[in-house]
Amino acid sequence: MIDTTNNMLTLAQKREEQISRVMEKLYSAAQPGAVYSEPVTAGNYTIISACEISAGGGFGSGLGLTSPKPQDEASQPQTQSVNSSGGGFGGGGGSNGRPVAVIVIGPDGVTVRPVVDVTKIALAGVTVWGSMLMLLGRMRRANKR
Amino acid sequence: MKHPEGISPLDQGMAKGERRRFQGLLHWQKISGQSIVVNDFTLTPQSWALIVRFPRGAFVWHRPSAVLVERNGQMQHLPIVDLTRAIQLGLLGLGGIIITIVAFVRFARRKERVL
Repeated sequence: MIDTTNNMLTLAQKREEQISRVMEKLYSAAQPGAVYSEPVTAGNYTIISACEISAGGGFGSGLGLTSPKPQDEASQPQTQSVNSSGGGFGGGGGSNGRPVAVIVIGPDGVTVRPVVDVTKIALAGVTVWGSMLMLLGRMRRANKR
Repeated sequence: MKHPEGISPLDQGMAKGERRRFQGLLHWQKISGQSIVVNDFTLTPQSWALIVRFPRGAFVWHRPSAVLVERNGQMQHLPIVDLTRAIQLGLLGLGGIIITIVAFVRFARRKERVL
């Protein structure tokens, strides 16, 4: 029983260490190096890209130990006082990044050029217009009644 | 390209905001990276970070906000605009305005008919 408990506690400690390591990695997304790239030089120009990033994650773990039940010595045999234990650990996460702008350092000076994601804009446009048409249709139907 | 600190500044991690990083459940902070010297320009990247801490998890949202450019003692602030998001929000706002106007006009017409 004591061995099992110790093993479980060791496993739990290991899990905690793993969680803190993963959390540190997650927090590294808040460092400037995560958003700004290393400068790249080509000819007279140096370029630094700036990206927006988001990252998230969560974990959960649990363990259970059964303590021996107080036995009714008359009714239960000795063999039923076997202890059992169990534990589990799970987690999930994800990250997303997209370029926002490019910083160009050239002979003329420093300029910030935005990066436009046409696909995202097109999707947003289709969604907005679709929603508008649906709402207008509903309003028209409601007016007819 | 020269780095004043000797090491690439973008590798050095968080500069000013690091100490406050683990405080509180919700944290919104402005982060200034180490300066880089390119040609005669000294660039200081700045960004905003939102950190949400849960008991067993976290969420980090980090976006660039501006670049401070220094040349011959003159400081220039270059904001970094997220044009994609601005257009997306603009489209959403435009849709909302159009829906509101149409609904208002229809409501007014209906009211006229009743009167």
